[in-house]
Amino acid sequence: MEENVWALEEGEVRRPGIVHIVMLALFTGIGIVVGTFGSLAIPIGFVSAFWPGQAIQAVGSIWYGMWGGIAAFVFPLISNAMSGSAPLPVSLAYIPANFVQGMAAGWSFRQFKCHPALKTGKDWLVFTLIGILAANAFGAAWGTTVLRLFGLITPDAHSVAWAGWFLGNSVASWVLGALLLKFISPLVIRTKAFCKGYWA
Amino acid sequence: MAQTTQPVRKMRRTLLGTIPVTSPLYQLHPATRFISLLFLGVVSMFIDLPEINIALLILILVYMRWARVDISGLRIYLPLMFTVAIFMFTVSIAFPGDDPTFHAFEFLGITLYLEPLYWTFASYWRLMAMLFGTIQYFSTNRERDTLVAVRALKVPFVVTYFLSLALRAAGMFMEDMRTIREAERARGLDESSMSLSDRAKLYAMYMIPLFTLAIRRADEISNALYARGYRPSGKVEGGGKRTDYILTKYKIRTLDIVLIVTQVIIFTVVGVLRIGFGVFAVTQSPLRQYLLTLMSG
Repeated sequence: MEENVWALEEGEVRRPGIVHIVMLALFTGIGIVVGTFGSLAIPIGFVSAFWPGQAIQAVGSIWYGMWGGIAAFVFPLISNAMSGSAPLPVSLAYIPANFVQGMAAGWSFRQFKCHPALKTGKDWLVFTLIGILAANAFGAAWGTTVLRLFGLITPDAHSVAWAGWFLGNSVASWVLGALLLKFISPLVIRTKAFCKGYWA
Repeated sequence: MAQTTQPVRKMRRTLLGTIPVTSPLYQLHPATRFISLLFLGVVSMFIDLPEINIALLILILVYMRWARVDISGLRIYLPLMFTVAIFMFTVSIAFPGDDPTFHAFEFLGITLYLEPLYWTFASYWRLMAMLFGTIQYFSTNRERDTLVAVRALKVPFVVTYFLSLALRAAGMFMEDMRTIREAERARGLDESSMSLSDRAKLYAMYMIPLFTLAIRRADEISNALYARGYRPSGKVEGGGKRTDYILTKYKIRTLDIVLIVTQVIIFTVVGVLRIGFGVFAVTQSPLRQYLLTLMSG
């Protein structure tokens, strides 16, 4: 029988607590480092054709629900500024896309009862289709629209920029996300901070 | 033989480097410096004129020099500056749009259009001014400074606590990351000779130890907070307000108030002029007008 890590045990009470706020902060800290070094190691700038930060956003919401969703839009504000990939106003405009990029995976894993350690074909399919492809399709669409509104790309280049953004980010996020889920999830689901619901 | 000893230069570690403890910048309250992030990092959004944005960029570099930041540390941003320029200009040349009023000219056998190219030129400098407006803050301030700034601005306790821990965690993880990288270099790894795909693969390998450390730290920190009676509300048991020791160490002076008010006024005036009256639009750029005159003549 498939293991359902999201189901509450009999008598189990889960409430958001200080451990979640601490984990949110630490996760944001990791996101800042991953986002900053990812952008500096492969310096492509705001076009974001390689941004492993999306993997952090996806696994964050799978492990920590809405706390991961909050971290998903907070850490890019700082990491983009530190790495020089996007100025503050552009990063602020990315917030809705970053939130969706994070929460898509968290929502789908809870909705379809997938295991965070990617144990079955269904887990891989949901992670790839919703957590990576759908999330990045939306993120790239929103992101390129923001770039267009800020005059950083011409209207005629919108679709090409979208394709570059979507493909580059999807590959990086899929590889890093799969690694993190496969190797770290077994550890995370045994911790206090792991969220079976959205907040606890 | 007489030996001369160099005086020890005490440095303070910021999020992006180090800065001398004697930097004149530390005469200012952290809140003033935080407002400078919001001012310098955002004001260029209302300014399309490359002349002003280049001047702002120079001003930021002068400000960093005055703050005794090691400007050579900014070299890490050079590849990014080049690739962004290449990307933006390539996109502008390949997809210029089809407005018949554009002024066309030939260069190396390629037909180029002045208006989209100039727009890209203006956008590039606007982007750089905003980027360096934010980089200056992270180059000159520690996590503690940001914490003091947001607390001085009366942001709720749970937000300030989260923000300070996140920034502190970023600092800790950067240190961990440096340790991992140095350990790899000590074993003979030469990142500079690696291809982009190899660098990306290597990068993925850093994540596992970082996450393992984070999970361990989350438990330690939350247990320590619980033991000290911390609550998300920031209140102590019984409902009283927790005393804020860190804020007592910093005083807002007249100079700080003057600088904060000046920045807020300039920001508001620039925003109103841009949104309400169309000032600072790219069409008003003297350089653009000069180039158009050259092409028309």
